[in-house]
Amino acid sequence: MMRVSLAVRPRKKPTIPIEAETITPASFLEGAEIQVWRGNRELPLDEVFAVTIEGAADRPEDVEIVLSGDTSRMKRVGEYMDAGRIVIDGDIGMHCGNFMSGGVIEIGGNADGWLGREMQGGTIICRGNAADYCAAGYRGGRKGMTGGTVEIFGNAGDFAAENLAGGTVIIHGNAGDMAGVELHDGTLIIKGDCRRPCGNMSGGVCVIYGIAYDMLPTFRKMGTEIRDGREFLSFTGDIANRGKGNLIVKDCTYQD
Amino acid sequence: MIIKDTVCPFCGCLCDDIEVTVEDGKIVATDNACTLGTSKFLGDHRMKSPIRRVGKEWKEISYDEAIDYTVDMLLDADRPLLYGWSGTHGEAQCVGVHMAELLKGVIDNTSSVCHGPSILAIQEVGHPGCTLGQVKNRADIIIYWGCNPIDAHPRHLSRYTRYANGFFLENSFRDRKVIVVDVRKSQTTNLADEFVQIKPGCDYAVLSALRAIVRGKGDDLPRTVGGVQREQLFRIVDLCKKAKFGAVYFGLGLTMTAGKYKNIRNAIELVDELNRHTKFTISAMRGHYNVYGSNEVNTWMTGYPFGIDFSRGIAFYNPGETTAVDILARKECDACLIVASDPAAHFPRPCIEHLAEIPVVQIDPYANATTAFCDVQIPVGITGIDAAGTAYRMDGVPIRTKKVLETAYPSDEEILGSVYARIQEVRQP
Repeated sequence: MMRVSLAVRPRKKPTIPIEAETITPASFLEGAEIQVWRGNRELPLDEVFAVTIEGAADRPEDVEIVLSGDTSRMKRVGEYMDAGRIVIDGDIGMHCGNFMSGGVIEIGGNADGWLGREMQGGTIICRGNAADYCAAGYRGGRKGMTGGTVEIFGNAGDFAAENLAGGTVIIHGNAGDMAGVELHDGTLIIKGDCRRPCGNMSGGVCVIYGIAYDMLPTFRKMGTEIRDGREFLSFTGDIANRGKGNLIVKDCTYQD
Repeated sequence: MIIKDTVCPFCGCLCDDIEVTVEDGKIVATDNACTLGTSKFLGDHRMKSPIRRVGKEWKEISYDEAIDYTVDMLLDADRPLLYGWSGTHGEAQCVGVHMAELLKGVIDNTSSVCHGPSILAIQEVGHPGCTLGQVKNRADIIIYWGCNPIDAHPRHLSRYTRYANGFFLENSFRDRKVIVVDVRKSQTTNLADEFVQIKPGCDYAVLSALRAIVRGKGDDLPRTVGGVQREQLFRIVDLCKKAKFGAVYFGLGLTMTAGKYKNIRNAIELVDELNRHTKFTISAMRGHYNVYGSNEVNTWMTGYPFGIDFSRGIAFYNPGETTAVDILARKECDACLIVASDPAAHFPRPCIEHLAEIPVVQIDPYANATTAFCDVQIPVGITGIDAAGTAYRMDGVPIRTKKVLETAYPSDEEILGSVYARIQEVRQP
């Protein structure tokens, strides 16, 4: 088992983002020199982090990376990760876990935008809040997340699970505006409230345990169903297109 | 001297029929231009020479000193931001993109705070658009959604829509129907055959409802949607389906309200749906006269229309991350070059606070709100007045603007070219 500890060193310009897509379990296994980018300058990893490596491993499943210090501006950590474990003590910057296909990322604090963008497999757990476009797709893309699980214990920002095409997204708090917009497939569960969910949905399932504010008028009410002993309203849509998605809400309001 | 067929460098209409009267090296009158265009042509109080902030004072400096400062600032930065570009000609924008790539900086134009969402939507579902001439000659139904052309594009109605007779419309005022969708009454709604007043923030719901009606699913809708009676929505769809050629024009009322690009996507998909019944098009009411050009230039040079991050040596595009407002609000740049725009007058307060903290150079003919936040300002010629260059009209037609005055001011292209040459000397010796 290999344990990599990365503690952020004090920085002169702490708000300039660091792009660190090289921080994945697989890259520490190779033993090659790891570089990260601060704005337009490429730097060796140990200029940004105090690096401590304990133990050894011969497969990425046995590598655990722990990030500590101010990691709120570290972007793309865990991008393309396929196995192993990354633990982030505090907040993490944008694009954490982009395209990941396996392994686990656990975030103790908040996650910035595009957490788990276009994720294909694996698990992301965020103990704090996630910003906009959590578990979403890329600009102009047709498919967002296609597999795996994202679980947010706090709130999510706007456009959560946009273009969701597979996998499961669970938000324990509230979601922002347009959660699950263009949802194709997969499951989105929001334990709290949200606004205007699932616009232009074409398939998949979205369950909202709180109130769906400003529900779109283009969802056809199909009846009620019982979940966890409570009565929910079941809708199909979005009938603005040929959508056959299933939107289940505890309660909702309309923009009339 | 009267100069005919001058191009007006104010709004995206780029009216090309302006007559400018020049006497003693000054423009004294204009014909055909609207109030906005006239005030730009007759503009006064140009800055005399470059200025530099020294303590609490402004000191006049030479163009060479100003270029030195700009080059040093840009070369020192870890993440320079090059913002603006919509108020200058395409040739200068080209130099800007080359410069951003060589500096490994971020280049963004003002569309990230105006019609950027429109482009994001177009990237998702395409753009069923056409030129303004097509609309003038063919469109028998016009929908203005979330815009007020009487105030913002004053000649749009007289040159292309409400009052413009076309090849297939001999009496435009009688034969063309104009529908205006807005949250309040405006000068434009007074001219409409049908005014649809929606509640603020309800555009997406109303567009979805219209799509459902076009698809024959209108009976599932509630009695009112976003403050609009269902009957009125049915009537509008009926008018649209019966039209021979429809054109939708939308403004920032649609791009900058909640949902942003998803509103535009919904509008494009409505137009798509209407195209199953008749011919329909949709286009953005672009603001600055060459903001469309900045998208064109960026796209042909980098593949992306705005918000391009060259930090890693290749073009990366992600509005919300690589756009000026986001970068400034998150304090993610350490120097800023502003060309032909005025962010201090338009950006949120946290952005301006960061501008105040970092070195900023502005290239602009006039003192403006951003002057208060910059360290050096370099005055230049105004494209279309004392500098010539290419601009793109709101429908994507490139038009060459004229130089009607001889002045000593260098053009944006010349100043940027000198800065770029100096950066090349260091980075590509």
